[in-house]
Amino acid sequence: MNKEIWPRAALLIFFSVLCFFILVPFYAVTISSFKPGEELIRYGLNLRLDLSVMSLDNFIYLFTGSHSYFMWFFNSLLLTIVQVSLTLIVSATVAYGFAAYEFKGKNMLFICVLLIMMVPFEILLLPLYTLTYNIGLMNTYSAIVLPGIASAATIFFFRQYLRGVPSEIIQAGRVDGASEYGIYIRLILPVMKPSFAAMAILNGMNSWNNFLWPFMVLSDANKYTLPIGLKTLLTPYGNNYDLLIVGSFFSIIPIFVLFIAFQRYFIDGMTAGAVKG
Amino acid sequence: MIRKFLYSQKVAPYVFVLPFILVFLIFWVYPLGSSLGMSFQQIQLGQEAEWVGISNYDKLLGDGIFMKAVLNSAVYMVLTLVILIPLPMLFAVLINHKFMWGREFFKSSFFFPALTSVVVAGTIFRLMFGEMEGSLINSILGWFGIEPVKFLKGQVTGFIALLALAAWRWTGVNMLYFLSGLKNIPDEYYEAASIDGASSFQKFMKITMPLLKPTTIYVITISIYAGLAMFIESMMLWNGNNSPKNIGLTIVGYLYRQGIERNNLGYAAAVGIVLLAITMVINLSQLTLSGMFKKEE
Amino acid sequence: MIKKWFVGFLVLAMTMLWGCGGSNNAGGTSSVIDGGAGEDATELSYWTFVELHGQHFEKMLGKWNQDNPDRQIKLNVTVMPYDDMHNKLSIAVQSGTGAPDIADIELGKFPDFLSGTPQLVPLNDVIDPYRDTIVQSRVDLYSKDDVNYGVPTHVGASVAFYNTEILEEVGVDYKEIVTWEDFKRAGMKVYEQTGKYMGTADTSASWQASMLLAQQGADYTDEAGNPQVNSEAMIRAMTVLKDLQDNQVIATIAGGQPDTEEAYGEFNAGNYVSAFMPLWQMSRYTNYMPDLSGKIAIAPIPVIEEGMPRSVGGGGTGTVITQTAKDIQLAKDFLAFAKLSLDANKEIWNTLGFDPVNMDVWEMKEVTHNPENAFVQYFVNNPFDVLNEIRDEIQLIKSTPATPTINNILSTTTYNEIFEDGKDITQALNDAQQQIEQELK
Repeated sequence: MNKEIWPRAALLIFFSVLCFFILVPFYAVTISSFKPGEELIRYGLNLRLDLSVMSLDNFIYLFTGSHSYFMWFFNSLLLTIVQVSLTLIVSATVAYGFAAYEFKGKNMLFICVLLIMMVPFEILLLPLYTLTYNIGLMNTYSAIVLPGIASAATIFFFRQYLRGVPSEIIQAGRVDGASEYGIYIRLILPVMKPSFAAMAILNGMNSWNNFLWPFMVLSDANKYTLPIGLKTLLTPYGNNYDLLIVGSFFSIIPIFVLFIAFQRYFIDGMTAGAVKG
Repeated sequence: MIRKFLYSQKVAPYVFVLPFILVFLIFWVYPLGSSLGMSFQQIQLGQEAEWVGISNYDKLLGDGIFMKAVLNSAVYMVLTLVILIPLPMLFAVLINHKFMWGREFFKSSFFFPALTSVVVAGTIFRLMFGEMEGSLINSILGWFGIEPVKFLKGQVTGFIALLALAAWRWTGVNMLYFLSGLKNIPDEYYEAASIDGASSFQKFMKITMPLLKPTTIYVITISIYAGLAMFIESMMLWNGNNSPKNIGLTIVGYLYRQGIERNNLGYAAAVGIVLLAITMVINLSQLTLSGMFKKEE
Repeated sequence: MIKKWFVGFLVLAMTMLWGCGGSNNAGGTSSVIDGGAGEDATELSYWTFVELHGQHFEKMLGKWNQDNPDRQIKLNVTVMPYDDMHNKLSIAVQSGTGAPDIADIELGKFPDFLSGTPQLVPLNDVIDPYRDTIVQSRVDLYSKDDVNYGVPTHVGASVAFYNTEILEEVGVDYKEIVTWEDFKRAGMKVYEQTGKYMGTADTSASWQASMLLAQQGADYTDEAGNPQVNSEAMIRAMTVLKDLQDNQVIATIAGGQPDTEEAYGEFNAGNYVSAFMPLWQMSRYTNYMPDLSGKIAIAPIPVIEEGMPRSVGGGGTGTVITQTAKDIQLAKDFLAFAKLSLDANKEIWNTLGFDPVNMDVWEMKEVTHNPENAFVQYFVNNPFDVLNEIRDEIQLIKSTPATPTINNILSTTTYNEIFEDGKDITQALNDAQQQIEQELK
């Protein structure tokens, strides 16, 4: 026991120091969310706890003031739920196709999946933009959801996961007379639950925080998502820091709740879907 | 009849992968093709396009600002690889140590920054690295008697801010990738090594590192991608796409500047194609070197 | 079990994706102003990058709806950051989709919207009735081939803003500052006694450079509109500023120029004594620098040699109507009413603190010296006393197709090289010229 105490303490101290650096920005934002925006402009973002200038005013303004924050919040929530659900379902289906069958062109198609994972989406911004315009999806959420609906990274991950699922399940299903789709829906999907949790968190993060593409596609201010909305506050001609900081603080909460709720499955899911040789 | 056809074991796989094929064709192949076509044209939205051959590429070669952007992106990518591969791997191994207290708490805290949006995180870091005396970093430097630094106006200091942001957001994520890789290494290997009298360091080099290789390759691949495609981080840190002396300009930033800000679509498309080429060359050679393709078969 | 939530999610997701298109009113943005309009009012959308501009329109909208009961309007105002608004607008206008009916375009970006065939509505017919009363050169800025595409907001005469509290402390009278030499002497005194800087060396905007060029009767472009940023006059302008910086009179500021939020903070804290900005900077003082109320005096800008013109029109916003606007005639009539009528010009001063393009207003004492006016109250002296003194000296910097590129290179790279890195002025300007030519090729 005595022999263990030193390594234990060393590890604890090491990680506590790291943790401190990681949490400092959160602390600064939390402190600042209680200070008036002017204070921030005048003295910068800092760690100073000065109770005389701190108040709940920003929070009161957040919840009662006239601004679009909660509209953005709601839009983001909606878009995230829609996008994550559809992406997970579609990607899982595709992954199952890759994992469970041998078919002509499979290898070539899977190489396409791998290639997509390496192509920066950003280079397609302009042609995708014109495409979106041509098919009349400008200023719609569909334009945001559809291009990512069969997400390469998610397909790849699910396929990895499914490789660990015994093929006897499928055989047994066939013997019982289930159709190919019935096997997938009744037998395979339930087994994939932990991997869904992991992917829900990763995709949820991406979707909740997605900025560039939605920003380009959406022109109607009533459809703005939270990151876009928060960015509109970043103008010298608005005096918006009151809302910006408290809004930033508040925007972390939903994704945090999602993370805490699924965290249990998260690491397990990631582990099972991990890249194996 | 149709039902029977669709339900046959031969057709079912195609039905399963159909969404991918559609998305791939509509949202990747077609735009990539039109991007390639655009790069040989002089196009402005709302006006007739005009074929100009390779003159866009020709112009790129002589464009100092584009070269600056390429250099910035490349340096950023290399530095993120240097920071965001070994450190998270080390942290993962340490946090996985059997003597670790409070493992779950630390895992969550490390992951926490990744949950913030780049817009939010970038703004926070912009304010933290502000040049005023009272800004967070400068006030900390002040405790050590160091004069305030204009972080976001200098090349090196600007990159420090950029990398700090990247490290802050991604250390936890990469650590989790490595942790999940570690979980797949059977304990017996370590036990056997212990019996043979191997030291912790030897175990790390001989067991952990080689068996983490697939995970490492995966993390390197996505890091190369993320490093070369970085844009929003820079945009938020400098509150716009025009950093002083373009110290924060990236390839995608230049694509955005030419395509969106200047309405110079053909030229921007050429920038995109060059970025694609760079990414593919780096990633494919990385994967070939690490023997990824041999295993895939 | 998993099947249930899977199906539930799917149904939920699909209904939300396809069903959410029309339910926009639920959020209830505060940005629709109705100005007392009734049910039948036409709703027009308006984009701007300055929140205050919306407030001006709100006032004028009330009057319009009262005067025109059969042509009432509701205005849906969207405020976006400068860069984002112009980028989005540019795409929307060029692609013919998603553009608002009315939009503000800043002078520096305006030429981009005039390239090729402008996708904006010609406004000559609604400007004509007011042409005699307004400064023609401000309209010309937003024109191509004699077609007017934008309605100006103000003259933007550049003036100096001095913090009199600090100047009095060191015994300097701002009224005696006539040339940059005077300014330098005063500034050295300020720095010696207080350690504060007399002014800013701007790295992210061209206001100061424009002023110094205009004093010499020069411009960024030659007669034909070709960029010429390494001219003798430009070198001289930069040399004057660099000399001030070397003598601790001016220094670079957080944010890079006085019209940024970081700079507001610095000024408010009294770290910089003076700013040289177009008159609209007044509203930044009243809005963002409350601590300086009653301390700021307005004066003509120092000149290189006595007798040189003391001001230049700086910045500006052309309000435009897009080709895709819902009711073009209605939008045009309202726009002219809201920005060019005599009432509008008075309100532009009252609400925005701008120097209106109808110069007759400059002489209406009851408007300009109204003791109720927030700007009159804030500043030590009355801005119009200064404006009327310099009204015949206000120069113009041309707006050409090369202007956006010139602005971009100078204010991202060149000024930083000169004032932050101490790069040789001639070298920096030659490099800039070369880069600009390369980009415009």
